[in-house]
Amino acid sequence: MTENQNPISPHLQIYAWHISSLLSITHRIAGIINFLALILMFFWITTFSFGESNYELFLIAVNSFFGKFILVGFTWSMSFHIFSGIRHLFWDLGYGFEIKTANISGILVVLSSLITTIIFWLFGRGII
Amino acid sequence: MVQFNLPKNSKILKGNYFKDKNESQNIKKINVYRWDPDKKENPKIDTFEVDIKKCGNKVLDILNKIKNEIDPSLTYRRSCAHGVCGSCAMNVNGINTLSCMKSHKDIKGDINIYPLPHLKVIKDLVADLSTLYRQYESIEPWLKTKEKKSKNFEINQSKKDRKKLDGLYECIMCACCSTSCPSYWWNGEKYLGPAVLLQAYRWIIDSRDDERKERLKTVADKLKLYGCHTIMNCTNSCPKGLNPAKAISSIKKMLATN
Repeated sequence: MTENQNPISPHLQIYAWHISSLLSITHRIAGIINFLALILMFFWITTFSFGESNYELFLIAVNSFFGKFILVGFTWSMSFHIFSGIRHLFWDLGYGFEIKTANISGILVVLSSLITTIIFWLFGRGII
Repeated sequence: MVQFNLPKNSKILKGNYFKDKNESQNIKKINVYRWDPDKKENPKIDTFEVDIKKCGNKVLDILNKIKNEIDPSLTYRRSCAHGVCGSCAMNVNGINTLSCMKSHKDIKGDINIYPLPHLKVIKDLVADLSTLYRQYESIEPWLKTKEKKSKNFEINQSKKDRKKLDGLYECIMCACCSTSCPSYWWNGEKYLGPAVLLQAYRWIIDSRDDERKERLKTVADKLKLYGCHTIMNCTNSCPKGLNPAKAISSIKKMLATN
């Protein structure tokens, strides 16, 4: 059999984004980022065993602007993944499949992940 | 391996521009995907200027007008024009829909019309759905009963059991949902897709069917069923307002609780 040489109709290139599809891919990306965050945490623990100077080097890196940006990013990706995961659990129970409900729950996930990140850092910095 | 980009022979080029000859005031630009199997060329986007005041309300009316008055070679499937047959499913401004049900008055600016996504194109807006039909066949979409019972008796169904089929039997298999699903794009050969799974659920939940267990067993496959990641493009696109995502979740739930 000769392979069908007809073109494939465009897909990702033309398909409109919905809240649901956007959050679905963000959930996956956040999951990958969380995996990287775990590696950084292991790295942090490893610096303990390499002695004080190594640990301080790590602290300097993390306290730089870029380091702080990364840490705040990790906080957000963790909280987003958790809230989005809870949304998935409700779906698994069979609730929240109407378009309107799914859109509202999606927006709630984004908002609560942002709020959690802000509160976490305000709390951690001793501001509240 | 998942290919996010279009292969070389599928890259879309700029096509012809059909200017309105009557210099009308109510012009809408319609960009339509074209591919001719007889020419060895890449697909292209042709732009048609259409007088929107002299045209019916639906996107299908525009296509008919183009075919009748501007370019008779434009190819697309259509039949009933009332959202019953499911022939004219296509991608209008980024969302799969039946062009006979989509009003062009809802669309501001240009209208972009493509065939259903991630399928082999046959010509212009006609794409090859044979994989989907094969998958539909694989779920055996007919009533199966143990022999004795069906021989002499009518199989009755209570109102309550009949109600379970609402939101499922209305499906016309237009394939808007399946071809809107990224999971179906990347795993179309293995993953059954929302349309076929909604149909599978329609037979699983039918009180008159005797093979629920076997049916559940057939779909309970890693990719056949669990290719669904609740992206919900299916429910967002269904022109009949059905909810394939919920039907798939119901199958998953039945498998988890039985």
